[in-house]
Amino acid sequence: MNDDYLWDKTGPPDSQIQQLEEILGTLRYQPAPLNLPTNLVVPKRRSYLPLLAIAASLLLAILAGGIWLLVRSRHEPVITRLEEKAPKPDEAPLPPVKKSAVNPPLVVATNKHRHKAASFVLPKREREEALLAKEQVMLALRLTSEKLSLVHKKTQIKNQHKVG
Amino acid sequence: MYATADMLLTSPQAHAAEQSPETAVEVVLVKAVLEGDRDGFARLYDLYAPMVHGILLARVPRAEVDDLVQDIFFHAFKKLHTLRDAAAFGPWIAMIARNRAVDFHRRSRETVELDDDVRGSDTHDSRATEILELIRNLPEAYRETLVLRLVEGMTGPEIAARTGLTAASVRVNLHRGMKLLRERLGFMEGL
Repeated sequence: MNDDYLWDKTGPPDSQIQQLEEILGTLRYQPAPLNLPTNLVVPKRRSYLPLLAIAASLLLAILAGGIWLLVRSRHEPVITRLEEKAPKPDEAPLPPVKKSAVNPPLVVATNKHRHKAASFVLPKREREEALLAKEQVMLALRLTSEKLSLVHKKTQIKNQHKVG
Repeated sequence: MYATADMLLTSPQAHAAEQSPETAVEVVLVKAVLEGDRDGFARLYDLYAPMVHGILLARVPRAEVDDLVQDIFFHAFKKLHTLRDAAAFGPWIAMIARNRAVDFHRRSRETVELDDDVRGSDTHDSRATEILELIRNLPEAYRETLVLRLVEGMTGPEIAARTGLTAASVRVNLHRGMKLLRERLGFMEGL
């Protein structure tokens, strides 16, 4: 069966299809005007682009803020500690501390364990108090030493008198 | 289900190959309507009213078709801004028509419908109604293409271009539908 006539009305016509077209053609659409209310207007297409742009900007700002805070919180303690270590020009210099084997430094920091050592660094005020306390202890030790040596000398003199 | 698998048998390649000059006209018209040109919609109505009429005729009583055509174009006018691809106006309004036919049957389930052949006055018209009833009893994919071809006088390529179906599926539907119709017409006298 040749379907060309059925498909695009080319080729040899099929009598049965022609007959059907003739009969069913009576039911064909009869042009009628479209009745649309005169006040009816097509709603404008909504553009979501500005909203998307605003949302993207906000998201980007939040992201940038988050990253900045993260980076700042990581670097801030080190900077603060470095600032604490450095003496300020208007401050009076601390009295020099004699180094000895008995008096190890309060801050022991090596490059290898910088981060761990940094946690032992005392705040400035406490450090000053510690240094004052150390001075007092040293003074007390010196007095005790002087008294001991005085007692020792007196004992020696007494012993010489007994022998004499 | 509103559409059968046969009706949805489409591919992007097939669509690209079937881009007709009419599609360009539709794009221009849809854009014009969205910018406030009501005459553009009247032109779209002239182009697509026969297709919508055919789709409805394959599904709902004949007396209801004309009013439904108006309703569908009224609805399409209000919702045109939701159409994303202006070139798809045909498939879009065809789908609205199919869905409206389903809604019609859902709503009028409880009402009693007069048979179309009761209304038909002359013999020729009653025979047309009788054949239309035979077509309506065919599977959905066949009935729509057959009505568009035999009643509305559209060719296969026109049906494909307007409804958005592939030419291949329209051809298959026409061939199989016609074969079934011939078998059923064999029982009718005088044809």
